[in-house]
Amino acid sequence: MNAVTLTRLAARDRLRHYALRNASLLLSYLVLATMGLYYVAYAGSHGQLSVFSVTSIFNNTMPLLIAAIGQTFVVLTGGIDLSVGSIISLTNSVAAVYMRDSLGGILAWSGLILLLGGVAGAVNGILVAVGRIQPILVTLASLSIWAGVALFVLPQPGGAIPPGFTAVLAGNAWSVIPASAVTLGVLIVFWMVFRRTELAVSLYAVGDDERSARANGVPVVWAKVAAYTLSGLFSALAGLYLSAVTTSGDATTGAIYTLTSIAAVVLGGVSLFGGRGSATGSMAGAFVLTLIVNILFFANVNPLLQEFFQGLVLILAMAASVLVNLFFGRST
Amino acid sequence: MADQPQVAVRRPPRFVDPVRRSILLTFAAAVLLFVIGGVIEPGFLRPANMFSVLVVASFIGFVAAGQTLVILTGGIDLSVAWVINAGGVMLTSLAAGSDLNAVWAVPAALGMGLAVGLVNGLGIVFLEVPPVVMTLGMNGIMQGLVLGLTNGFTSSSAKAYAPRVVSQVVNGSLPGGFPVDLLLWAAIAATLWVVLSRLTLGRWIYALGNNPVAAYLAGGSTRRITIIVYILAGGFSAFTGIVLAGYAGQATLGAGDPYLFASIAAVVIGGTSILGGRGHYLGTIAGAMILTVLTDVLTLMSIPEAGRSILYGLAIVAALLIYGRQPEEV
Repeated sequence: MNAVTLTRLAARDRLRHYALRNASLLLSYLVLATMGLYYVAYAGSHGQLSVFSVTSIFNNTMPLLIAAIGQTFVVLTGGIDLSVGSIISLTNSVAAVYMRDSLGGILAWSGLILLLGGVAGAVNGILVAVGRIQPILVTLASLSIWAGVALFVLPQPGGAIPPGFTAVLAGNAWSVIPASAVTLGVLIVFWMVFRRTELAVSLYAVGDDERSARANGVPVVWAKVAAYTLSGLFSALAGLYLSAVTTSGDATTGAIYTLTSIAAVVLGGVSLFGGRGSATGSMAGAFVLTLIVNILFFANVNPLLQEFFQGLVLILAMAASVLVNLFFGRST
Repeated sequence: MADQPQVAVRRPPRFVDPVRRSILLTFAAAVLLFVIGGVIEPGFLRPANMFSVLVVASFIGFVAAGQTLVILTGGIDLSVAWVINAGGVMLTSLAAGSDLNAVWAVPAALGMGLAVGLVNGLGIVFLEVPPVVMTLGMNGIMQGLVLGLTNGFTSSSAKAYAPRVVSQVVNGSLPGGFPVDLLLWAAIAATLWVVLSRLTLGRWIYALGNNPVAAYLAGGSTRRITIIVYILAGGFSAFTGIVLAGYAGQATLGAGDPYLFASIAAVVIGGTSILGGRGHYLGTIAGAMILTVLTDVLTLMSIPEAGRSILYGLAIVAALLIYGRQPEEV
């Protein structure tokens, strides 16, 4: 064997290794691509493919997608954030009650709402990292607390979101490009930059093996607090986006995002044990979960069955990645 | 070895054991809350009222029975909400208001719960899907099935009413006013105590939660035990759905929703470690009582739902700061 063949073999080995380690992520991209093609073909052949329908898919995905990015930070450290849904409800309620239609008002309240989410997340992080309480329990408690605060702010569904705010976040640029697609681009760039920061390395290290991370001088407490703070911040951003899309407030509207954000993260190939995965996968997972609903709608399937198919896809995706490793992976 | 001196192993006093201590603390807190309720509203401590509070607590206690077993093995069951809903809806739709049909509708609904638990267990054991994902997905599947098959089940239709006999059993009381429902709870508590504290199965459940590899190497059939606890959890959820339908006289979609978080909270407030291996159903019982009495006391103080939700969360944080902290890593 000469050197060239050896290099080629090594390259193939690396590819195989990468494919197996990221089996669930690659699967979710595959599912997403298939579903996207199916959607385009089906909607196109029925004359349903328009700027409007594409924009509405992006808009409907955005709150879940942003919440899933937030959830990713926490899951990467090996934790879980159940308070995502409540923080979304709370920020949606605050926006619906206080935001007025003036540039200053919109900017000020958006800033305050993001701050609120960040603080809520930081409290979670401090209780987890300094209080040494299990993440699932801390965030279970804060889920209840923020849901209560949201009800205080907005006891009855209602309120209003300034049309200007909706136009910016959920409209179209030059009446063709969905603003949400632009946001998606910004988020992807953000993640690619973030991934190369020291903080990101710390998150992965803590999730992979907390003890080794600590022994190697990774600031574990700081990394955890930062992860939950980012999760809170992104939940607030998701709440803002939800407000822009729904144009009204409801103190319980965010509840579903706790479980769907976890589902999106898992579909995107992020390991619940921490240390493995990426937010781009979670974004793909969010699109898969949303596209399921759209495809069911076009295929004339009873919309009430939507959770059935979402649950099924979630379990099958997990099982498939395990089976891929079982059959194609090297026995260890 | 014969000349090795006999070392008298001094066992620490029983109440020093952290699990026992947390169970005692939780029961003390429950009693304290009852007393506070009595101070605010003297009628609160009348037996009739205490019974009705405990009956509401028993619903959390039923779901949390399965949740306790699952959490003790180091897992979690997120599918309880829609298995509860499915249990209630199955009972009322199959029985269609007839007592005669209840004879097979009740076992059918229970069987559905056991089957869902079996699927959970098989997926976790053989497909190696993490419990959080498996049971979360299963919850979605059950939600879709219930909504899809019943076409958005409406609580006003005739099929929503629970068979009279089920309602009579759930709402019935023995001579002396002791509710039948509490008798059921006592029976379940006694059974779980025997299972956890006296049977080998219980030992293996703790072993599995403490260290699955060690449990396997010690000869435990860890796969079978895992599947068994999820089957039981599914059964308990369906049972709760049946009881809830009987209690209210009809099944409503969404009746199970509060019970996912309530069941986990009751288990944890009762001192069971969310990581598995430590805790007991006795603690969960106290946890279920605390959650219910706390809600009632806050209602007595005319605190609105929003305030209750906040205090509910703060109570969980307080309980966790007292005895839910992990030891410091060195």
